[in-house]
Amino acid sequence: MNKLVYLGKRIALAIPVVLFGLTMAFLILYAGPLDPVYSILGRKASEADIQRLLVDLGYRYPNGQEVPLWDQYRMVMTDLFTLNFGQSWVVQRGRPIIDLIGARMSATIWLGWWSVVIALFVGIPVGLFAGLRANTFSDYFASAGGILWRAMPNFWLAVILSGLLSAGGALSFYRDWGADYGLATKVVGTPPEVNNLFNVIPLFDGIPVLEMLFLPIPELQNMAVAFKWILPGALVLGSASMGNEVRIARTAVLESINSKYVETARAKGVSARRIVFKHVGRNALIPLLPIIMGEFYLLIGGSVLVEAIFGINGLGSLYLRAIFQTDIPVIMTLTFIFTIILVVFNITQDLLYTIVDPRISLDDVEG
Amino acid sequence: MSDTNTPNDSYDGDQSSLTSRLAANPRPALRWAAVAAVLLVLEFGAFIGGTLTVLHALVLGVTGLIAAMLGLTISKGIETSINEVQASILSQIDSVRSTAEGIPTLLSRETIPNQGHRLGPDGPWAETFMGLEPRLAWLLRVTLIVVYAFVVAYWLFRGWDIFRIYYRQADWTPTDDIINRLRSHRWGVFGVLIILLFLTMALFGPALGPTTVEANIQSPYGHYVEYYSNETGQVENVTVGNANFNSKSKGAGTNVGPMSYDSFDRFHPFGTLTNGRDLFTFMMGGARTTITVVGIAIGMSAGIAAALGMISAFYSGTVDLGVLTVADGITSVPQLLLLIMVSAVFAGHWITNVLNGGFLLAILFGLTGWPGLWRAVRGPALQVAQEEWVDAAESFGQRPALIMWKHMFPYVVGYLLVYASMSAGGIIIAMSALSFLGNGLGVTAPTPAWGRAIDLGQNYVSTPSWHISLIPGLMIVALVTGANALGDGLRDAIDPETESGSGEQTAAGGGA
Repeated sequence: MNKLVYLGKRIALAIPVVLFGLTMAFLILYAGPLDPVYSILGRKASEADIQRLLVDLGYRYPNGQEVPLWDQYRMVMTDLFTLNFGQSWVVQRGRPIIDLIGARMSATIWLGWWSVVIALFVGIPVGLFAGLRANTFSDYFASAGGILWRAMPNFWLAVILSGLLSAGGALSFYRDWGADYGLATKVVGTPPEVNNLFNVIPLFDGIPVLEMLFLPIPELQNMAVAFKWILPGALVLGSASMGNEVRIARTAVLESINSKYVETARAKGVSARRIVFKHVGRNALIPLLPIIMGEFYLLIGGSVLVEAIFGINGLGSLYLRAIFQTDIPVIMTLTFIFTIILVVFNITQDLLYTIVDPRISLDDVEG
Repeated sequence: MSDTNTPNDSYDGDQSSLTSRLAANPRPALRWAAVAAVLLVLEFGAFIGGTLTVLHALVLGVTGLIAAMLGLTISKGIETSINEVQASILSQIDSVRSTAEGIPTLLSRETIPNQGHRLGPDGPWAETFMGLEPRLAWLLRVTLIVVYAFVVAYWLFRGWDIFRIYYRQADWTPTDDIINRLRSHRWGVFGVLIILLFLTMALFGPALGPTTVEANIQSPYGHYVEYYSNETGQVENVTVGNANFNSKSKGAGTNVGPMSYDSFDRFHPFGTLTNGRDLFTFMMGGARTTITVVGIAIGMSAGIAAALGMISAFYSGTVDLGVLTVADGITSVPQLLLLIMVSAVFAGHWITNVLNGGFLLAILFGLTGWPGLWRAVRGPALQVAQEEWVDAAESFGQRPALIMWKHMFPYVVGYLLVYASMSAGGIIIAMSALSFLGNGLGVTAPTPAWGRAIDLGQNYVSTPSWHISLIPGLMIVALVTGANALGDGLRDAIDPETESGSGEQTAAGGGA
């Protein structure tokens, strides 16, 4: 089957899935026992104010009649799918949601990026190492570490780590590390440098359309500071996936190292390094793929707690604030964005499967 | 599982019923039953009490839900009449429970009391078991209870063994192999032991703690403790609430650490919380809540997953696609976000009164957890649906429901068990995360919940009061590791060929 046809089919199948997920969220938020009017106006609101607000929020028509749930649903869904996200109700009343998200996005992306990268660059090598040295002390140590590491709740690790990093804690020296190079940082809160990671140089200043193209020059000093600042959170956020990666990489290596083609390669004199990277490594990657992709899933949920504990002003903490303050449009928009991201990653994962392992046909990965 | 004899299946004459086999050779069964009876009598009250507590919550939750649904759709009258029925059932359960808890049990806090007071500055202890130090009395009781629980578990297993050796018709069934493989699987056995330990905590929690949830946490001002006061030089009487107030753990200066006494002669195995309550008692209460919620949630999602898995495999085509869409739709919203959303929406709603918020959590985990299990079951179910025996049953006119139950379910149930135990870890983690966030999410205060203890100790990690956050977290890690180990063991025992990572994601609790 052609890859494009397959892609089209997957996207067509994804539409009802996304719609179902969002409908569920809509019903919970709009038909459930929430009272946004109370959370905006408080207890002592006049009847007229309440009426005006209800019209404003789209619960009532200007003539005082209630908007049926079905019409609210149609309005909300059309707005979402036309990317018309509207304004925040409570968190920052009246501010366009797209602004709110834009301002907080970079912190979450920075945190998420490093959590994925650190987990990959620690978890996979450790797993490969353990697999190549199966049933030695170092293997048991690494495997046990992986098992415990993935059983630890993120939020607990975050609490313990932030406690140790705080003043008077065993790791409080971390904050002053590299002070000579301007790297003294805090560990709680959003690193302000996160918005200035790149120096944006416009390429075609003044020329219409083309002026949107730009060259991002990395600001290394800012990146180093922001990295050091966010590292504890990223470590915690990647912890569960790191444990998984150790386990899966280990078993994958064990499986492929005993296979005939590795034996053949060894017999014809291929170097050990080449065997590990070319023959074992690539095959070990196949079962790792869903884990790596699954990391994004864990990341979205985990960012809520990690950001809350480390005080990072990102999308996760925005979600939590919106939930506690009944800011329905913000919740709906974030749910929409996260859902779309997840579905896109799912489809990418299945496509990547067929690239990494050509034996898997496109029919196999369906469903 | 699939191997017990069903007499109505008999095709030849030499099948005898279990009762006749028991009558022919009663000795092993009688010997087993005698020991079992002794074990049961020792702790009869605790067993009945525990069972009835769960039953009470289930009746309350289920009838409440039915009433609310009918009240919304049909009429308010039905709702009130159901509520009346509910109240009468509940009061009956309550009365049985209170008489059951009145039965003296051997390993209770009354027979081996640990709460006492000194008679002088270094003086002997009064009112504790044989005048022992409270620490020793408590240790003795805990040891006895844990030993007892493990003996009971062993004896139940022994019962199955005796049945297999003396009374089962078949010499061998596939279950024998599974159990033998699990027995020699050290990692799996470790998981079984950990799970048993936590079940013991949940069941015997009230007797394990140095004090009770009721006296120490729920109504501390309605209970009293006696202690030897160094200031007045005599034994004084104070409410538990006042004693708690002066035994807080809040960093340097005011701290009651693990394995120490507070100034009211009370012993705290895990130290105290920031509000002076006993952390060990709190953890035992939390174990009961956790195990109940996880049990209901797993049961619910496994039930839904099994039913839908077999239906989608049996009918396939459009039905399968429909279930797939719903399952994907539920998982398309990140689970933790969905959980936070729903619990926040229902915060303060009447449903959070059932099981102190645990019931809502259980339903939520059940409804959001089944897609993962369904995926695990669907493959094997599709395979078995294509077997000849299913075709045969269909062609001689057996009803689809019966085919699924008799010819497909036994094949699928193993996979269900494996993935259910693997997803238990995720539920435990996500549940404690919700309680950690607080603000009306999770289990409502003051009912103990592990996540809340971690939240309370958040600011004291680097102080002498480090125990508040650390110990509950370690217990969660232990339980989750145990559940994962059990899952690994079961997987290797049921199907030694497979080695896959599909259970990995579910074990992480959606990133909590």
